[in-house]
Amino acid sequence: MFGHLPLKLSICGKMLMLAAIAALPASAAAAQSADPRLLALSCAGCHGPEGRSPGTIPSLHGQSETAIAEALRAFRADQRPSTVMGRIAKGYSDQEIDAVAHGMAVPSK
Amino acid sequence: MNSLPRTGRLTRRRAMALAATAALAAPALARAQAKAQIVVIGGGFGGATAAKYLRVLDPGLAVTLVEPDRTYTTGPLSNLVLAGLHPAADLAQSYATLGMRHGVEVVHDTAVAIDAAARKVRLAGGRTLDYDRLVVSPGIDMRWDAIGGYSEAVAQIMPHAWTGAAQLDLLRRQLQAMPDGGVFLISAPPTPYRCPPGPYERASLAAYAFKQAKPRAKIVIMDAKDQFSDQGLFEDGWKALYGGMIERIGLSDDGRVTEVRPDEMTVVSEFGEAHKADVINIIPPQRAGKIAQAAGLTDDSGWCPVDPRTFESAHIPNVHVIGDAALAGAMPKGAFAANTQAKVAALAIADALAGRPPATPTYLSSCYSLLAPDYGISVIDVFRATSEGISPVAGAGGQSPRQADAAFRAEEARYASGWYASITEEIWRS
Repeated sequence: MFGHLPLKLSICGKMLMLAAIAALPASAAAAQSADPRLLALSCAGCHGPEGRSPGTIPSLHGQSETAIAEALRAFRADQRPSTVMGRIAKGYSDQEIDAVAHGMAVPSK
Repeated sequence: MNSLPRTGRLTRRRAMALAATAALAAPALARAQAKAQIVVIGGGFGGATAAKYLRVLDPGLAVTLVEPDRTYTTGPLSNLVLAGLHPAADLAQSYATLGMRHGVEVVHDTAVAIDAAARKVRLAGGRTLDYDRLVVSPGIDMRWDAIGGYSEAVAQIMPHAWTGAAQLDLLRRQLQAMPDGGVFLISAPPTPYRCPPGPYERASLAAYAFKQAKPRAKIVIMDAKDQFSDQGLFEDGWKALYGGMIERIGLSDDGRVTEVRPDEMTVVSEFGEAHKADVINIIPPQRAGKIAQAAGLTDDSGWCPVDPRTFESAHIPNVHVIGDAALAGAMPKGAFAANTQAKVAALAIADALAGRPPATPTYLSSCYSLLAPDYGISVIDVFRATSEGISPVAGAGGQSPRQADAAFRAEEARYASGWYASITEEIWRS
């Protein structure tokens, strides 16, 4: 779960300060949306195949589409502290974030 | 066998059975005849990823992976092995899952020639493989002629330890045997080369090991360039963790090694200064792997120009070059980049063979480096294919913050090991 990122409060404070200084446009991504099939495969290199992480990186498997999309938007807006997810999420448009979430999430029902 | 008896009476039951056989057999036969053959050369992060996803994206494709080694030794994590912090066995990846779960035919041989007109790959063992599409992911080759006196034979004395288990083990044993107060010299190559932060991570983890066991040891990096990957982060960390143990001599300070003298355990710089050391690691200038050169896939730079949307070669149609061998614009040469390029190439091949229009690609690269087992940094970028080639998305990506506390560095170190576990699981174990 994204929510399990064990970051200290002191870091959160610093990250929020940095975010305020370097307020970037929310969507810096390219005009043409990337292929949803590729977006769905993008997470596996760090979060494991189908989001099942075998190591220290949080698993995405089993999370809902909404939860993943909301987390990515929060990372992109620097509203949620992270080591790398803020840097990554800024590379994707809203449409692409939705495609990532859709591709990663377990189909509901 | 299936021919009807000339004078027999065709019973209803038999007629139905025959019809059923025909209905099953006909499309199966058509499929078998139309089954596209894909050959993948190289079973590293690029090639093994491509082989897997070609089968996942289109189970109708016949995929053959050509890789000389039965066990792949990863570059990532290898500096931890060098420093004695991980067993070498942790780097070994097997091809069993690609074969058994994904139905990839794994051939342990070396591709020696590509006949582009006939669409055939010739292997050293004598076998010839036909292809409809070819993926070439050969990694790097050393430019053995770039440093005077350096050769594959001299690499047994002054290892590169940049590819393969044997070279890594040689340098590991040399470092272990080095006396306290000894000098470990690393010659870092000019850009581009495999794993841009690699030489500096290597120096860092060697310093970590020396700090415990040989505190009077010294590390000298002689560098063929002035700027290097994550430079500020590395220099901050070295100062904080290792004091003056690591010294770097950049290109402008005569840091480029142009000659080696293995009998004197000395390297010579561009302007003639000799540097003696107890252990010498020469990471030579590099170019695309041998088969890419032999097949005419490389340009004057020694690397392979490709279409930034599909990684199809600019020189030979139906051949896709991925990973370190490719000229991939702003993407660094590394495992993660190869993995993401392989997914794009696999999808491009599956789409083209199915008559679908080409997809809009997106690429991702992350390079984690450890300055100590609990001190990690990263450089990450999201890339797009643009009219100027593959370029990072503005406003995204970048390096770890220069100002961060110990908890942040420790978190990135934990994620470095998590990344390794995930990407090797994705490629070789799932």
